[in-house]
Amino acid sequence: MGAWDQRENYVREGKPSYLDERRFTQVGRSVPRIDGPAKAKGEAVYTADMVLPGMVYGKIKRCKEYAHANIKKIDCSKALALPGVLAVLTGDEAPNKWGIVPASANETALAVGKVRFYGEGVAAVAAIDEETAEAACDLIEVEYEPLPALLDPFESMARAGEVNIHENAPDNILHKGDQIYGDVDKAFEKCEYILEKEFKTGRPQHGYIEPMSAVASYDTQNGLLHLWASSQVPHYLHRQMSIVLEMPMSKIRVTLPAVGGGFGGKGEAAASEFVACLLSRKIGRPVKVTFERADVFYTSKGRHPCYMKWKIGLDKDGYIQAVDFDNTMDKGAYAGWGVVVMFYTASMVHLPYKVPNARSLVRNVYTNLPTTGAMRGLGGVQPRFAMECMLDELAEMMGISPYELKMKNAIDSGYTAINNMYVPHTEYKKCLQTAVEKSGYLEKHGKLPFGKGIGLAGGYYISGTAYTLYQSYKPHTSVTLKVDTEGGVTVLCAAAEIGQGCNTVMAQMAAEALGVHYEDVHVQTGDTEIGSFDLGSFASRLTYASGYAINEAAREINFKLREMAGGLLGCRADHLEIKDRMIYSMFEPKFKIEWATVVQKYVNSVGALSAVGHFSPPRRKGIDIITGNRIQGANIGHSPTFGFSCQIHEVEVDVETGRVYVKKVTEAGDCGTAVNPMSVDGQVEGSIMFNMGACLYEDMKFDAKGKHLNPNFHDYKCPTFMEMPDMDTNIVDSYDPTAPFGVKETGEGAVQPTFPAITNAIYDAIGVRFYQVPITPEMILKALKEKKEKEAGCGCGCGA
Amino acid sequence: MFMNNFEYFAPKTPGEAFELVGRLGKKAKILAGGTDLVILMKDKIVSPECLIDITNIEEFEGIKYEPGKGMVIGATTKNSEVQYSEIVKEKYYALAYAAGEIGSSQVRHMGTIGGNSCNASPSGETPTPLVALGAKVIVSSAAGDREMPLEDFITGVRRIDLKEGEILTKFVLPEPAPKSASRYAYMGARDANEIDCVNMAVNIELEADNQTVKSVRLVMGSVFVRPLVSAAVPALLNGKKFSDELVEKAAEAAQGEAKPITDIRASEEYRHTIVGVLARRLLKEAFAAAQEV
Ligand SMILES: Cc1cc2nc3c(=O)[nH]c(=O)nc-3n(C[C@H](O)[C@H](O)[C@H](O)COP(=O)(O)OP(=O)(O)OC[C@H]3O[C@@H](n4cnc5c(N)ncnc54)[C@H](O)[C@@H]3O)c2cc1C
Repeated sequence: MGAWDQRENYVREGKPSYLDERRFTQVGRSVPRIDGPAKAKGEAVYTADMVLPGMVYGKIKRCKEYAHANIKKIDCSKALALPGVLAVLTGDEAPNKWGIVPASANETALAVGKVRFYGEGVAAVAAIDEETAEAACDLIEVEYEPLPALLDPFESMARAGEVNIHENAPDNILHKGDQIYGDVDKAFEKCEYILEKEFKTGRPQHGYIEPMSAVASYDTQNGLLHLWASSQVPHYLHRQMSIVLEMPMSKIRVTLPAVGGGFGGKGEAAASEFVACLLSRKIGRPVKVTFERADVFYTSKGRHPCYMKWKIGLDKDGYIQAVDFDNTMDKGAYAGWGVVVMFYTASMVHLPYKVPNARSLVRNVYTNLPTTGAMRGLGGVQPRFAMECMLDELAEMMGISPYELKMKNAIDSGYTAINNMYVPHTEYKKCLQTAVEKSGYLEKHGKLPFGKGIGLAGGYYISGTAYTLYQSYKPHTSVTLKVDTEGGVTVLCAAAEIGQGCNTVMAQMAAEALGVHYEDVHVQTGDTEIGSFDLGSFASRLTYASGYAINEAAREINFKLREMAGGLLGCRADHLEIKDRMIYSMFEPKFKIEWATVVQKYVNSVGALSAVGHFSPPRRKGIDIITGNRIQGANIGHSPTFGFSCQIHEVEVDVETGRVYVKKVTEAGDCGTAVNPMSVDGQVEGSIMFNMGACLYEDMKFDAKGKHLNPNFHDYKCPTFMEMPDMDTNIVDSYDPTAPFGVKETGEGAVQPTFPAITNAIYDAIGVRFYQVPITPEMILKALKEKKEKEAGCGCGCGA
Repeated sequence: MFMNNFEYFAPKTPGEAFELVGRLGKKAKILAGGTDLVILMKDKIVSPECLIDITNIEEFEGIKYEPGKGMVIGATTKNSEVQYSEIVKEKYYALAYAAGEIGSSQVRHMGTIGGNSCNASPSGETPTPLVALGAKVIVSSAAGDREMPLEDFITGVRRIDLKEGEILTKFVLPEPAPKSASRYAYMGARDANEIDCVNMAVNIELEADNQTVKSVRLVMGSVFVRPLVSAAVPALLNGKKFSDELVEKAAEAAQGEAKPITDIRASEEYRHTIVGVLARRLLKEAFAAAQEV
């Protein structure tokens, strides 16, 4: 944990540093986080902390009566008459539809004509203080015509003729797709072992600590709008704002103060942001809208519940021959990331095992429940749960260890999946081996006393995407590096630091690329006006993407500094290396000069240095010029590279109370080069806790009308510090030669194995397999009772 | 989220407090740590015109133990103080342990033991062990004091026998019997900040032979509108030699007495099962502890 410094692995004897691309000095350091001290001292300024001169407060009036209803009338007159109220706003004042995927955009800032989920915003108020705004919301009178609430995707499809959630979706389905590769039916005919199962997952939410908050300031003189917001996608937010407000993007600036977590939930615009901007434009004063936790539960787009049917077939030697996957997803009320998440579930079938034939039939169905969307490990967690549990079961059918089965089927570097996804590099097998060895899995599995169990699962995740969410060919990330005698090195990029640590690793990578120290680098992110373009913090894309762009920009600056230094030293520029704040000749120790001196000379003679680097991910889908064939697949789901991991959970089940205690987790991850090993450990430990929550504790609950029963942290139960298991996280030696600095992701891959590892461990402990999460104490007790009754039989000895 | 405007009083002496409580009557609410009351006010479930903060009154606070006589705990004593008190731990183990299981550290340092009983939530942590330990409450007003067992003071969900003008000022705990021990446990989904789906306390006293139960008190929380004192368990165990078979019977008897409901936290059936589990575990633990005394 933490203190381990991977640099030692990189210093390899017999190879000069200038020939060893892995001999890093800044990448691989467990430096403390740039944002750490301010946060630890409570000095970080979050959006909700901001106060601007003349600022007033906005609040959203929510529908608390129904989950589905037509709005007949909204009467704001009493609210407007309340002293201190400056303006009211209703949905029809900003009817333009927004959504992160343009083709399915169907949300409005506030409900227009109809509410589709419990707690949807129907109106908003700006007032001199929050208290008055809240009182004014209570004075707004809304007349509804209730409609039947569809709370289950199957009911929603069945009753589509009678109850329709969106006009343009007569079947109540957002989107469906078939992804068929190879001949699945034929492959099953040759299989020796076939397992068919149905799985279901719950409805967790991210549980980030900072609720959404937005401060908007519209300047009536020059028509410029400045929005400060708690977001992980400043660019997409910027775009949506432009659509809804009908203002050019160049008139809008988005700035992120400190952000208290996102996990996908801040990966779309939020009503707080639209309402703050619309109200500010209306009254010409800055407006702040801060959500309460209940607002977050109503509107933040958590993980899709999935109803999955699976069939997996192995040949007699245990090699996977075919996977058949059918997924019905609960979309909730609006589209959001839905189409993307849906196709991700289909693409997740293809890795990290070799699957020669695969068929995924997927559909995402509207219901009158909270909209689901992006949540850490988007699209991967549900299918991974099922596949890793089924492989455990198939291994048992074959009479071999799940470890053996997974090793046998695991992919190697350079693998191309049948859907055309290409994996340049993987150490997945090393992850499996390391976790198994360190945990003693093989000695313990199947041999622990009743009530104690150990379970293994693997997983992978993308390190970025291949495509933008809207049609565009621009680079996904651009980084400007600025070097001068005043500020030293500054990295400018409109990326989003949301607590995941991107500012720190960007500083480390920039320092490495420029040959200076991490401490010399300043990072300016989170501002669409200051930073160069970036798509946002999602899909675990930023370390790879920004690393690539940083390298490209640094190359230009290094070239100029080398030329200058060569002139000063009287040697060839291409003999010069830059490392550790020195510029020196690879061949002659006497040619050596301080980096800062060269910068000063350069600035004095030429001027300040800056350069822009870009990253555009490799694409896979397209037209083959020679054959004219269109290459299918590898669209959603493809990534420049992939991270891998294995987790082994040891659990104790209290067979009397049904409670499951995760005691120990041994994890091994392939994140490529660990730019900051301490940060990787933090991400991995956080990931494990994150999905331990949704596996054993967390679930949003509703009554028969769709009203929330637990929109608070009292009854929506995240695991606390007390539930944290002992963790042994290991970073396996890995270096992707195709990646900048050899990096991959680590923020989402490590959530993938948690459900199945716990579920497999529970099976090992009590002999009961679960096909549904969260696994509650009541489910455990019920299953144990059924098992006991079955084992006792009918008493006649027939075994029934 | 916003509380109504209210007038705030902070009396320094019992006399001032009684006068205010008497005069303001229904218009006022007594404020101790506020960890229950402020939440209810923010949710607009209650909107009192006045708050009378009783935490500045020295006489209402503190833990006093007199050997042979027992303990008096002032109503505004913080739950954390009860949790960390060495003498409470030694003499009334179940209470110290239960106080330490309330919410989180922050909540325990704000909330008071009096507030926990006066809030009268069926899942409250400390009423269960207090009743098992035979605690009485002193309810005071300008007119004088009333004394009653805690199980009579709590009359229902958020209902207490507190008349207009009265303040709960103390808990009085009898000196524990020589060969006795008390234990507390609860069940919930997680181990901190948890609202118990069932809690339970057992106070057991043994005869000199270290085997025979002289008397036992088993109290259940969260399975009835108020702390439920088992009648069946003492009837089964008192005067009998402690045995596993008897414990089984006692646990079944406790299950028979509990009247749990189904809500978001647990089903009736699950609560019923847990009553049996906790009864078995606590009876054995308390018996083992009493043998050591
Ligand atoms: C996050 C959180 C977690 C919690 N977890 C738990 C838990 O695990 N277990 C648990 O039992 N409780 C829990 N609580 C509830 C609460 O902390 C306790 O009930 C606490 O003991 C209440 O004490 P207080 O001093 O804050 O009461 P207050 O909120 O000040 O008062 C509560 C009620 O009692 C009345 N009152 C208070 N003192 C007196 C008095 N002396 N005489 C007459 N009336 C009085 C008040 O008028 C009010 O109606 C939790 C609360 C929070 C916020």
